[in-house]
Amino acid sequence: MTELLVFHALAGLITLCSIMVVASRNPVTSAVFLVVDLFCVAGLYAQMDAHFVAAIQVLVYAGAIVVLFMFVIMLLNLEPETMQGFRVSAPEVGILLVTIVGFIGVAVTMVLGGPSGANGGMTPEVIEQAGGNTFAVGMVLFTRYLWPFELASILILLAIVASVVIAKKDKPAAKDGAVAGKRSLTNGAR
Amino acid sequence: MVPVDMYLVLATVMFTCGIVGIMARRNLIMVLMSIELMLNAVNIVFVAASRAVNNLDGQIMVFFIITVAACEAAVGLAMVIALYRKYGRIDTNFLRMLRG
Repeated sequence: MTELLVFHALAGLITLCSIMVVASRNPVTSAVFLVVDLFCVAGLYAQMDAHFVAAIQVLVYAGAIVVLFMFVIMLLNLEPETMQGFRVSAPEVGILLVTIVGFIGVAVTMVLGGPSGANGGMTPEVIEQAGGNTFAVGMVLFTRYLWPFELASILILLAIVASVVIAKKDKPAAKDGAVAGKRSLTNGAR
Repeated sequence: MVPVDMYLVLATVMFTCGIVGIMARRNLIMVLMSIELMLNAVNIVFVAASRAVNNLDGQIMVFFIITVAACEAAVGLAMVIALYRKYGRIDTNFLRMLRG
């Protein structure tokens, strides 16, 4: 019963914050609502007994990604966006409908013929006996998923190099005259 | 135990918010934030399904999705900075050079 209550509180907060992320005009406000949203998702993971994923969510998402967003928003010093008319084209409506229908399809499949709760083997009792969720996830991660784990480190290395190269300042000998006026980022930052 | 379809309803709402954000907002940073929302919605489905079938593979998948999301955010924001430095604005109405 308590579990259901916690779920409903977190789900309400997540819904509210997701709408506010999209709807607020100022990007800083959106980023703050995104932090609250991600924390609530972490709480939802904890409520689902996925403690390792909850910790990673707080550390990586709320701790690193949103801070990165904040840095860029404040570095670029954007003014609040003027909400012009929300024009939606036909393909976009199609994408939205396909999304909702797809989720409903997955839900119907899972509710009707899907998981019975007995076919996995990693029941809460087994996980508890093995030493907790983090231990069990670690055992799976470092045995069956060792190779993807190592590939993830290569992906991160590539992302580091790519972001440094992309965001690097151009050589001053660039010969394009069209962009000369818009170089100054912020006062003194560059 | 909360039934799994409630998690799916929540994820649908969150994912739809992300898609509406991508369609409605003209700021490139807002588009990236909406992508993060959508990835989180998918993560919720993964963990809920992982618990429903008593299998930890879903949580491993969430781990990898978070890794990829971090890389995507870093590279995407680097591209935002490069675009801002080159053109002075990050408006998706303005940045349509690749649209043919």
